Parts: sequence; C-alpha cells; structure tokens
Amino acid sequence: MNNENPYIFKVKIPADADYIPPIRKFVAEILQIKNFDPKFTFRSEVIVDEICHNAVTYGSQSLDATVDLVCSIYPDKAEFQINDQGGSAEHVERLKTAMDKRDEALEKEVEFFKSNKGLGLEIVRMLSAEVDLKIGDDNVTSIRVVRKREEI
Amino acid sequence: MGSLKIEIKNNDLRPDVSIVHFDGALDSASVTTINRNFNKLFEGKRLYTIADMSKVTHISSAAVGELMGCRQVLTEKGGDLVIAGLNLDVKTKMNQLGATKIFKFHNDLRTAMNAYSWQIEQKPEKVWISFPPELNFVPPVRQFVSRITRQKGYGQRDSFRIETIVDEACNNAVEHGVPDKARDIELFLKIDRSKLEIEVVNLSDPEKINSLKAISKSILGTEEKKFERGRGLALIKMLSNDLAIDFSGKGTTVHVTKLREE
Repeated sequence: MNNENPYIFKVKIPADADYIPPIRKFVAEILQIKNFDPKFTFRSEVIVDEICHNAVTYGSQSLDATVDLVCSIYPDKAEFQINDQGGSAEHVERLKTAMDKRDEALEKEVEFFKSNKGLGLEIVRMLSAEVDLKIGDDNVTSIRVVRKREEI
Repeated sequence: MGSLKIEIKNNDLRPDVSIVHFDGALDSASVTTINRNFNKLFEGKRLYTIADMSKVTHISSAAVGELMGCRQVLTEKGGDLVIAGLNLDVKTKMNQLGATKIFKFHNDLRTAMNAYSWQIEQKPEKVWISFPPELNFVPPVRQFVSRITRQKGYGQRDSFRIETIVDEACNNAVEHGVPDKARDIELFLKIDRSKLEIEVVNLSDPEKINSLKAISKSILGTEEKKFERGRGLALIKMLSNDLAIDFSGKGTTVHVTKLREE
C-alpha cells in the first residue's frame, strides 16, 4: 500500500437504515486490518454512520434509491466518499448551509446544527481533517471525508 | 391538550398504501375522530396503512385501544396498520400500554414504506461490494453479509451458514484469482424474505483456472475423480440450495442460492 496505490473498497446498499450498522462495522474492520488504532477506527465508524444516516434520511427520495460508499485506505490516511441520489430542494439547501457554517465558533455552530437537525455533519467535521460536499447537476450528493492517521 | 388533526393522504411513491397523518394530542376525546377517519379507509382498497405519528404530542389508553381495534379490522380484511415516526415519550407510553406487542413500529415514514416492500411485496434488495483480492479482507466481507442477513430478520443459524458460504466463495476468489490489487473481487447479494442469492466474481488466474474447472466438475457431480483440494466448494454445496460456477470469459462467477430455513 502506498499513496499512489491505495486499497479501495466500494459498497452499494439500498437507502434503508437497516444497512447502516453492517456498513459502518465493515469500515471499522477493514481499518483495523490495516493497523489503524481502535480510536481511529471507532471515530471513522461514527463518521460513516452519520453520513449514511443523512443519505438515507434526507438524500433518498425514490423507494429504490441507493447509497454508495467508497473507502480508500492509504498508509497515512483514510478517505470516505458517500454518494446519495439527492434529496429535496429544502434538504439540499439545508446541507449547503450546514457546510458553509464551517468558520464560526464551535459552540455557536453546535447550537445552530442542533436546531437544524444537522448535528451529524458537525460531528463529522470535528472528527475529520477535510470534509467536502459536491452536488452534481443530476442532484447526486457526494460527501468526501479525509481522516489522517495520527500515530504516524 | 391541543386539538387533533387527522389527514389521510396517498403517497406518490407508494400509491397502494394509505398514510394517515396525525397532528396533535391523541386523547380520549379523539377516539370518535380516529374511528370516523378509519371507517373511510375500511371502505377503500388500500388496506395497508401507515400511521404517521411524528407530530403526535400525547396518546391516551383510549386512543391506543381504538387504534388496536382499527388494526384488527384492517388485518381481518388482509391489510395492516403500522406506526411510524413516534417520539420517545409517546413510544414509551405505548410500550407501557402493551402496544409494542400489537403494532410494528418504524422510525420514519420511509422505513415503514421500505418495510412494506420487504414484507408484503417481498421485493428483493440488492447490495454490491468490491474489495481488493487479499485473504485478510475476507472476514470483514463475510461478517458484513452476515450482519445484513441478521438485520433483515434471518436467524442466527441461517446467518452463520451464509457467512460460511461467503467466506469459502471469497477465499476461493482470492486464491484462484489474479493477485492484482487493481482487479477487485465483486460480491453481489440479492436478499428477500425467503432466500439470499450470492454471486462472487473474480478475474481468474490463467495458471489456476484448469485445476479449478476440474475441481468444480468433481464437486458439481459431472466428473467422478476426487480432488484433495476443493473442500470449500463442497462445503458451499452442502450448505446451499443451489450452486453454479461459470468460467465463461476471463472471470469466474460463483452463484449460490440459500433458502431461509428459520
């Protein structure tokens, strides 16, 4: 494993909350295998859980909607990309607002997110080195999270 | 207590399901209103009903009793009444009243509609996963599948057997496939209430493909000769209801069907 040639895992699940516990455990287990420490793996599990819940709850309108996860493992970091098929205009706008709030004081943000049911995204941001949001022309919403291995 | 509003709506995603939205307090005075609204449903054809209670602030024992009666009528006619979106306080109250033994509860409307697809329509759900061809990644993959089956209501024994099947099929895919990290192994699952279909696809190693073909012929009963290797495939065959191996093209596809027994 090197930085040019990461281990890549891809998973596609139905947009159903039943699938979230198995997918987050899967991510934690592959990180453990690649010798990431328990704290790192558990926090990654939290991140995957939060983003997948958002994708299922707010980003999946049709009944046959799916959620995609791509997990790329590098020696010094792990990247997670979670795509959903896009929520309603209201939810997409709320997500954009939540992402734009990144420069405010943490305490203030937490209050903001609590009141907007967006606390999950704030937790993700606290636990990550980078969080990016992309919304495609087809409304596909993609969240990319980078976590750096701390013990290296 | 606030006033109660009840609205029966159709959902574009699920036109064959009735959704009853409750807004306010379901106190003892609300029994007549509940009864009047459900009587309209009993006359219609959409007998599978989801009660959206995300805006319910309070529920009385009389209202719970009335809803139980409505569910009984719906089930006698071939439908059901399930509850979605309850807040913790109302759910605790319903639990104390024993309603959790009668009703199925879902976290939100979408989950309730998914449950309809799963339970009533018996619609299969599909999962796809691809992973690098290394043996140490097989345990997380097999546990992922096993967790899904348990989450979807399969029993412990069925889930463990499914885990064994996935383990053997994926180990074979790693051992007999091209050891190139870029050539991922793919696993397809199709799960419904009665069975699970598993398909493991890998790019075959040209040096190993002939021995694998011979082993599979022996296991599948088309050739008499016994091989020392190939116990994994024999185990899959014993634990599953159908096993097929396809060597066409550059890859190998192992297709397994496992019926739910418990």
